[in-house]
This record gives sequence, structure tokens and C-alpha cells, in this order.
Amino acid sequence: MRIAMPGWEFPPFISGGLGVHCFELTRALCAKGVEIDFFMPVSGKQIEPPCAGLRIIEVAKAELQPYMSFSKSGQRANYGGNLIAAVNEYWKCCEEKVSLCAKEKKYDLLHAHDWLTSRPGATLKKPLGIPLVQTFHSTEFDRTSSPWDYVLEVERAAAQNADLIIAVSNRTREQVCRLGAEQGKIRVVYNGVDSRRFAESQPSQAAIGGFKGGKKVVLFLGRLTEQKGPVQFLHAAKQVLSVEPNTLFVIAGKGELLPLLINMSMSMGISQNVKFLGFVPEEEQRKIYKVADVYVMPSTSEPFGITALEAMASGVPVIISKTSGVAEVAKSAIRVDFWDINMMAQKIVAVLRHAPLSRTMSRLSAREAAECNWKKTADATLRVYEEAVARFNSDSKR
Amino acid sequence: MDVCIYFQVHQPLRLSQYSIFESPMAGERGEYAHKGSRYFDDSLNRQIMEKVAKKCYLPTNALMLELLEKHPEFRVSYSLTGVFMEQCEQFCPEVLDSFSALAKTGRVEFLSETYYHSLSYLFADKDEFIAQIELHSKAISKFATPSKVFRNTEAMFSNDIAYLVERLGYEGILAEGLEHLLGWRSPNYLYTVKGCEKIKALLRNFKLSDDIGYRFSAKWWSEYPLTADKYANWLSSLQGDCVNIFMDYETFGEHHWVDTGIFDFLRHLPAEASRHGNLRFSTPSELVGRIPARDDIDAPQITSWADMERDTSAWLGNEMQTSAFSMLESMGAVVKEKKDPELIRTWRMLGNSDHLYYMCTKSLSDQDVHNYFSPYDSPFDAYINYMNILQDFKAKVEKA
Repeated sequence: MRIAMPGWEFPPFISGGLGVHCFELTRALCAKGVEIDFFMPVSGKQIEPPCAGLRIIEVAKAELQPYMSFSKSGQRANYGGNLIAAVNEYWKCCEEKVSLCAKEKKYDLLHAHDWLTSRPGATLKKPLGIPLVQTFHSTEFDRTSSPWDYVLEVERAAAQNADLIIAVSNRTREQVCRLGAEQGKIRVVYNGVDSRRFAESQPSQAAIGGFKGGKKVVLFLGRLTEQKGPVQFLHAAKQVLSVEPNTLFVIAGKGELLPLLINMSMSMGISQNVKFLGFVPEEEQRKIYKVADVYVMPSTSEPFGITALEAMASGVPVIISKTSGVAEVAKSAIRVDFWDINMMAQKIVAVLRHAPLSRTMSRLSAREAAECNWKKTADATLRVYEEAVARFNSDSKR
Repeated sequence: MDVCIYFQVHQPLRLSQYSIFESPMAGERGEYAHKGSRYFDDSLNRQIMEKVAKKCYLPTNALMLELLEKHPEFRVSYSLTGVFMEQCEQFCPEVLDSFSALAKTGRVEFLSETYYHSLSYLFADKDEFIAQIELHSKAISKFATPSKVFRNTEAMFSNDIAYLVERLGYEGILAEGLEHLLGWRSPNYLYTVKGCEKIKALLRNFKLSDDIGYRFSAKWWSEYPLTADKYANWLSSLQGDCVNIFMDYETFGEHHWVDTGIFDFLRHLPAEASRHGNLRFSTPSELVGRIPARDDIDAPQITSWADMERDTSAWLGNEMQTSAFSMLESMGAVVKEKKDPELIRTWRMLGNSDHLYYMCTKSLSDQDVHNYFSPYDSPFDAYINYMNILQDFKAKVEKA
């Protein structure tokens, strides 16, 4: 099977789950004999395809920077005019390039990811005469509490135009339905984790600034935006510190809430026990997981939440918000309501205090994460491809 | 062929969501300050008791009474845990009355067990186990004659358990009819137990029991739907002296809802059985009295009727469970030294095996069964809440 995949980010240009997903998915699909042409904006750096069968084709000359800052924070404030212009430029160039490549050798299917790459898929499916699969890694409803009409419009069209839709969780499926997608054409395919890379990583005190001392570490890792719940994390920290003062709360990531969070930690009187790391590159992230005693993902809205699986793969007990896609699969996690600070703090304290609990969670988490591999995601995605092709063929015969 | 039907009747004492952030003084103002009643979620326990009474206990007891009146040859047996009887008194006294009415027929036996549905046999000191059996006998004797047949919590059984129980005067003990105890032999006979004098083991025929308990409403099952005449035919064609059909009483109306036809099945069973000349209903004591043991079984390890493993791993299979259990056990001596009946009672209520059952982390299909019964979102939440309470209780005991 030959796939044209308009994509947005790809290692080393990762700013979130989307990039990780594209990297791991294409790698696992190619291992199954699928050929993929991945069309992405010009990165300005050499990107080595990680496997045979995958071609990375750069389109559009636009600067990557504005998109990066966009996907880092995901907030409306960053939807600048530049971005929309750049996206439109990317769409146009992508359409030309895919058409050109299709003339070399026919594609069987188009697969687009999120609104950023949805337009070329919709435009091309008719002229190329092939079906379109659209993955939603998130929707505008997840990214901001005040959705932007322009993006919603693009997402609605994407939901409409796709032959089959992949949602990364049941939670995302519901959001995609809110966009007007027909329930019957949505398939849920969960993300995975390359558990070995995380399990084998070495802990590094230096990764958290050598700050650990004799303290237990509670980790937050993600963009510092409202949706990820860093404010709830700080409130929980305050409460935990009232009974477990020898605890360090590490916040890894950047985003527009950073100044607010720093001020909060000072006014709450806990700044001594809160460490802000700012943006952390991927390799460092793996070391940070290894020094954590518990990972907390208090997201108010999380389509999936790959970091929870990464922490589990690292053998770290995880506490996750019930309003996350990963909560649907992670049996070894403790689930809490993001608004229930008291409960969240209690669970954190329990994991810090009770070695039998943290050891049991750690053992089960590592085992479970090893089961959540990308091969499964690729298998499920391939089944969606096959279904889309079969449906498309029977429709066109009619 | 004697047909021995036995039902386990129990409702756990579910715990309150106990926060470590509540002011340590908050509870002491309450009426039951140190007595621990705020550890238990009375409103949830009431709600569940009332629901199950309506769906299962009351209608099934009414049907049993009707069957006993209509069929003089019909027999049935139960064991009611002490915590079940207490919750009845507290929330649904009419349930206890209906059991008492069954007892009055003289054809219903109430077996002996641990009052608190506990794992007290597993304590190093066996006095607690014995004390709980005595407590239970006392409670049962309010409406029935205490039985000479014993059933340990979740049918836990071993040579040593049988030996101890025999010394307490029991003549029979219930156990799971496991292949590794029986080898080529059939569960449909009575057995003596290695190392014991004459106590007889009544072995559950798990296939025929689970046909009702688990598979009755399973549409995937090749024998679905199960009817009373089909089941009576199976019983009648068995080889052996007796067949032991043991299950949870909640099978009727709760595990299998009324619309599955489970009550109709029960309603017709005595009549269908009586059509076969070779079937006779018996209570466990009647079995022990009239059927000789054919051989002896050897159970060096503890067996039970729980999960695939049929051992103690449902309660003590992971580190959370073993550490919580040993903390509970280690508090026993201190609690008893205080000579405060309410403290002892609270400690025993925290020894309810269900608290540990909810902490089970098996990954196989058994986990679904644990989840089905659990009031918690995960085994970790079960452990955290239990430990919060146990530690609070420990602090109270030390202060008392």
C-alpha cells in the first residue's frame, strides 16, 4: 500500500504528541511493508527518514518558526496572521507536490493529521481518485476554552471530507462528533509508546538541575497552558507540602502560563519546593522521568496524553486526569478529577509514602506500557486504511 | 445421589472515602469519635443492602419458603456472615426475619463461619480465628441451631484448617473440589482429610455450581438456556454419593437479573429433581451423618473458591495486599490489650477480606470480577483509602 501523508512535524522537530505519533506510526507502518511519502514544511535542517519505505518530502519555503511557536502553546494568542498565511502557503505547495508525486506512482490513500494538514487531503482526494483518512490528535475544543472560528471551520470541513476518521481516544471521538462528523465513520486508535527507549534510559539528577537532594520528586511535563492543568498541579503541591515537606515539584515545559505559575508558587510560599525547568529536549525528558517518584498529568482536557505512557514505560507511578484519552486505557494509573485538588494531593502523598504502592504501580506500569506499543497502533491504522480502500472501491462501483 | 445446595450470603462493609487532609480533631467531636464508625460508608452500605434485598434476598427467600412448604423433601443451606446479619438489622430487618422463617421449617441449615468474613485463619495467632467462629455461632443461635459443619471465608481450606476446625468440634468442612486435591477422583464423594481424625470434606462440584452461578445467563454457552429439567437430568446421571452445589446467594436476581429466568429455574428445580427417583436433597449435616468418606485428600497448601488460582492470591497476591494485611495483623495484640470492645470491633471490621480483595491487581479476566465487586476506581485507590483509615485507626489505638 502506498500512502501520501501530509504532516506537520517530524523529529527532530517535535513539539508535541503529533510529531511523536507521525514518527512512530510511519516507522511501524513501513516495517509492515507500507510505503509512505511524508509531506512536511521545509525545516531548514536535514531530516533522515528513520526507515526504508519512508520518504520525507519538504514543501513550501515558509519559515518553520511561527508554526513551532504555535504548536508549543496552542493558544489563540499565537494564531497570528503569519501563521495562517504560512499554513495556506503550505497547503498550496503540498497539493502541487503530492499531485506531482502521484504521477510518478499512484497512491492508494491519503492520510492527513489534524486541521493543519487536512486541506490538501480534501482537495486532492477527488482528482487523485483515492480515499482520505483523517486523524484527529486533538480538536480546537481541546486546545483552548475559546475556540477560534477559522480553525473550527477547517476542522468541520476535515470531519466532513474524510472517508474514515481516526480519533486517538473515545474522548476525542466525542469531540469530533461535536464537529459534525458522522459517528459511523470514526475509528478509535490509541497511541503507543516505544517503551524500551524509556525503560533503558538512565536517571540524571543533572537533568533537574541537581536539585533533588534527598527529596522525593513529583513531576509535571507538558506545555504550560490551561488545558494541561499546571495551576491545579501547583495547588496540589501546596497541599502535599503541608504533610510531606521534603518533596520537590518539578515542572518541565514552557508556555504562556510560565510567568503566572512562577508568581503563584511565590505567593503560595512554596517556591523553594517548585523547580521550573523550561523547555526540555526529548532525550533529557527521558532522564527526568527516571528521577521522578510520581508523574502527574492533571490535564483539564487531554485528547490522549502520550507522556503518561512514557512515564509508565519509565517505571514511574502515574496519576492522570479522568478527562484524558489515556485514562481509557491505562489500567496501572490512578485516575483523578482535575478539579479535585484534595484528592489529587492525597494520591500523590500516598504514592510518596507507601513503598508497596509505588513499587506495585511501577512494576505494573512498566509491564502495561510494554503492551501499548506502536506496532499495535500501526496494525489498527492499517486496518482503517484497508477498510477505507474497500469502502471507497465499493462506493465507486455503485 | 444426595443433592446438597449451599449459598454464601455476605455483604462487605464498604469504607468511607477517608481523607488524610481532614483535621485530625474533626472526628473526635463526633459521637463515635474513637469508635471508628466514620470509617464505614453507612449510606453506601445501606443503599446496596436495600438494593440487593429487593432484587435478591427478599424474593429468593420468599420463593425458598414456598418451595419448602410445597416440597417436603426439599433442603437448602446457607452461611450468613456476621457483618451481613448486622447490616440486615441496621438497614433491612425484614431480610433477617425471612431467613428466620426459613430456619423454622427445620429443613434449612445455617453453617458456621468467621463472623467478620475475615482472613483471620492466616494470622499466626489462631485465637482470633476461633474467637470469630464463636461470635458467629452466638449470632446464628438467635434463630437457628448452630451447625457442626464449617465453611471458612471464601472456602479457604487446607489440612491444617481442617485439623483446627475438627478440634473445635466440627464434623464437616466445605472446600473447593479442585483437581489437584482430587487427582482422578470425583468431587461427588465425601473425603477425610490428611492428618485429621474423621472430619469430612464436602467438595464443591465447581462445574455444576458454575453452570448456575456464572454461566446461567451466558448466551455464548452451548447449553444456554439452562432449564430446571435439563439440570435435573445432569444431576441424575452423575456417578457418586452426593453432589455439592455451592454458590453466592446473590446469583439470584443480582448476578443474574430476574429477566434471565433464574427464578423460574429455581422454582422448578425441586419438582424436576423429584421426577428422578435417584435424587434426594440433603443439608451438609445430613450428608456428613449418613454418607461415609471414601478416601482422604491432602491439602498442604490453602485452597479457596476465588479466582482462577483458587488460592489466597485474590487477597494476598501483591505487595500492597500483603503489607496492608500484615499491618492489620500486627495491630491485633495492641488493640486487644486496650480491652475496649469498640476498638476490637473496628479492628475486626477492618479485617473484612473484601478490603484486600479490592486491591487485587491480576491482569487476567479475574480482574474484571474484582472490578465488578469493587466500589473503587482501581486497586490503588482501594489500597490508599484502606491505609489512610488503618493508619488513622492505629494512631487512635495508640492514644487510647
